[in-house]
Amino acid sequence: MKIIVCMKQVPSSNDVHLDPVTNTIIRDGNKSIINPFDSSALEQAVEIKERLGGEVTVLSMGIPDTQRLLRDALSRGCDKAVLLSDSAFAGSDTLATAYTLGLGVKKIGKFDLILCGKMAVDGDTAQIGPELAENLNIPHVTDVDEVIFVNDKEIICSKLIDGGSQILNVPLPALITVVKDIKIPRLPSIKGIRFSQTASLEILTAQDISADITKTGLNGSPTQVVKTFTPVQENTSVEFKGNAKKIAKQIASVLGEVL
Amino acid sequence: MELIKPFSDEYMDYLRDESRTVGYADSISFPKTEEEIVSILKYLYQNNTAITVQGARTGLVAAAVPFGGHILNISKMDKILGCRKDQKNFYLTIEPGVILMELNKKISSKKFDTTSWNEISLEAYNSFLSSPPMFFTPDPTENTATLGGMVACNASGARSFMYGATRNHITAIRLALADGRIVSLKRGETFANLRTLTITTQNGDNITLDLPKYEMPNTKNASGYFVKDNMDAIDLFIGSDSTLGVITELEIALTPLPPHIWGISCFFESEIKAIKFVQLVRYKIEGVAAMEYFDQTALNLLRNQKESGTAFAQLPDVPYNYNCCVYIELHANTEESIEGKMFEVGEKMELAGGNLDDTWVARNENDIDCLHFLRHAAPESANMIIDQRKKTDPMITKLGTDMSVPDQFLEEVFDLYRSGLEENNLESATWGHIGNNHLHVNILPRDSEDYKTGTILYSIWADEIAKMGGAISAEHGVGKLKSYFLEVMYGSESIEQMTALKYQLDPKGLLSKGNLFTPKKGGEN
Repeated sequence: MKIIVCMKQVPSSNDVHLDPVTNTIIRDGNKSIINPFDSSALEQAVEIKERLGGEVTVLSMGIPDTQRLLRDALSRGCDKAVLLSDSAFAGSDTLATAYTLGLGVKKIGKFDLILCGKMAVDGDTAQIGPELAENLNIPHVTDVDEVIFVNDKEIICSKLIDGGSQILNVPLPALITVVKDIKIPRLPSIKGIRFSQTASLEILTAQDISADITKTGLNGSPTQVVKTFTPVQENTSVEFKGNAKKIAKQIASVLGEVL
Repeated sequence: MELIKPFSDEYMDYLRDESRTVGYADSISFPKTEEEIVSILKYLYQNNTAITVQGARTGLVAAAVPFGGHILNISKMDKILGCRKDQKNFYLTIEPGVILMELNKKISSKKFDTTSWNEISLEAYNSFLSSPPMFFTPDPTENTATLGGMVACNASGARSFMYGATRNHITAIRLALADGRIVSLKRGETFANLRTLTITTQNGDNITLDLPKYEMPNTKNASGYFVKDNMDAIDLFIGSDSTLGVITELEIALTPLPPHIWGISCFFESEIKAIKFVQLVRYKIEGVAAMEYFDQTALNLLRNQKESGTAFAQLPDVPYNYNCCVYIELHANTEESIEGKMFEVGEKMELAGGNLDDTWVARNENDIDCLHFLRHAAPESANMIIDQRKKTDPMITKLGTDMSVPDQFLEEVFDLYRSGLEENNLESATWGHIGNNHLHVNILPRDSEDYKTGTILYSIWADEIAKMGGAISAEHGVGKLKSYFLEVMYGSESIEQMTALKYQLDPKGLLSKGNLFTPKKGGEN
C-alpha cells in the first residue's frame, strides 16, 4: 500500500496573531503543531501500513519551518516527507492549496490511498480533502470514523452522517477525510526520533512541481478574507441580594432580556 | 466572638480531607487577614480551645482533619500581595490560602491583580513582565493545594528530584504563634547556635528554643521537625504540620522556566530492568528534572480505566507487553542539548536491557500534557476503586506509603514491598518518585480483613525503612495518620524532644492537636 497523508501546520493554541495587512494568520513556527485531525489521519495511515506493508508519505504545503513538524510525523511512523514551500504559495485559499497539493501528489507518483484530516482547526473549512480528490479525479469519502476493511483494491469505511453512519465501499485509489476520534495518535519513540533525523524529506518549489503560479498563493485564491479578528470574550457576573422571592424575580428579568 | 461560628451541618465538608478521614469540631472561622487570625488565636488561647489549621484539605495524612475544638480555615486568604526582585531572581509575597494551580496560571500569564501593590512591587513587576518565563517548581499531584498547606507539610512532587521540595523555594514566612504573637522570618537572617535557636516576636519577646538532637535521614524527608546544627530558623517552621504556628504570609522564589521541557516514558518488561535503568540514569545525565515509576498494576489500572471511562479514553494505548514504566522529564536550555540528553537516556535504557521502541517521547505541550495526565490518572484510578469498595465496607481506605530510603537501598526496598504484598496476598498499585527511592505503594484492600493485614504490613515496612535510615513520610507530612510511625522512625526520646520544642512555642498544646504526635506523647492537654 502506498499511502499519502496531507498535513497542515496550525497554531498550538487559540491565542493566534493575525497579520493586520493580509488578514492571514501569522504562522510562528515555534508555537505550531500538527493539525490534530491530521495527527489522527497519520496514525490511521501508519496502522494500515503496519498491517499491510507499504509506505506512508506525509505531504504538506507551508513555510520552511513546517519541516520540523514533518520530521515529527516521520518520528511517528511515516516513511517519507514532502514539503511544498515557495513564496508563490503564500496566502493560498483552499482552491489554491488543493491545486498545489494535487501537483505534490502527482510528483510523489503512484498511490493507493490519500488520508486527510476532516478539517484544520485554524481554518475550519473542511474543503481541502474533497477539492484535492476532485483535482486528482478520484473518489472520496468525508468524515470517516472507522476503516473497516482495506486492501490494495478497495476500502470499506464508516462515514459519520447526521443521526448515524454510512458504510461505504470505495475502489482505490481514493481519498478519505477522517474525524479526530478515528485513532488516538501515538507518541514517537526514541527510535522513531532517531529515524526521523535522517529520513527523506524533500522540499519542492513551485518550479519543481511545474505549478502555474496564477493558480497558487494569493493570485490563485478567489476567496478574499475581508476581516479576521480574535473574538473578545466578555463574561460579566451579577450578584443578586435579598430574599429568595426577590432574587427569583431578578433572575427572571435577566433571563427575559436574554430570551 | 463574631469571627468564630458555631459548627453546623453546612460545614460538614470541613471535617475531612483527601485521606478520607472524618473528624468533628465545635466551631469554625474563615479569617481574611493576619489581624483576624491573631484575634481568633488570642480568643481561643484564653479559652484553651484546640485549633486545627486548614487550607484546601487536599492533604493525605489528616493533618487538616479536626478532632474537636476549632477549625481555622485560611482558604479565604488568597491574595498575592507583592513582588520583589534581586540580581538573579523574582519573589512573590502571598497569603497562605493561595491555590497552587491559580498561582501557576498567574505566573505563566504574568497577570496579577496589582491594585494594592506598593511602588517597589510595581517596579519589580514591570521587570518581571519583560523577563523570560518563570515558574514555581514544586508540583504535587494535587495542584488545588494551598501554598500554606504545601509549606506546612513541605510538599514536593515529581520535579523535586531536580529542584528540591517546597522548603527550597520559601524565602520568608510570617506566622502567628498559638497565643497570637507574630514572628517574621527571612531566610538567611536568623540561625541557630548549634541546637539552640532564639527567635524574636514582633513585639520584641525573645524565645529561646532547645532544638531536638536527632539527625535527619539522608533522604527526601517530610517527617517531623527539620533540625540540624546552626540551621536557618525558617526551616524549623516549614514542614512542621502547623504544630508550631499559623502561617499568615509567605514569600516564594521563582525559577527561570527552562525553554525546553521533554518527557520520556520508558517501558520495561521487568522491574529489575527498570531499577537498573534508574541507577544508570540518575546523577549521570544533567537536566533530569523528574524520575517517576509506575508498576504493572498501576498500568493495568490505567488500561481498565481507559476501557471503561470517557475521561481516560484519549490516553494512548499502553501495549500489554509493557509491564512497568519509568518516566523521565528533561529540562534544558537548547533543543540540541535536550535532544542529546534524550539519546543519552536511550543509551542507558539499552544498557539496562530495554528497547528504544518501547518509549514515548513528548516534545510539545500537547504530548507533555498527555503524559502528565497519564501520571495523575494512576492515583485517580486507585481512589475510584477504593471509593467503590468503601460502599460495601466503609472501613476500607487506601493504605498508601510515602516512605523514602537512601540510594543504596533502592533494590532492597522494592524486595521488601514485593515480598510483603505477595506473602499477604494483597492487591496493590505502586507509583512514585523512584529517582528519590520514594515509592507510593498503595495497598487496595478488598475487604476489612485485607485492610487489617495491610495496616500490620505497613507498620512492618515503617520499621524496616527506619532501619535502612529512611523517612516514614517523604512528602505528605506526618499529620495524624502517621504519627505512630514517626516514633518508629526517631524513637521515643526524640519524640519527647520534639514535644518539648512544641510546648516551648505552644505551652497549652493547642495548635494542630494530634498532628505529629500520638495523643499520649503531646498535643494533649
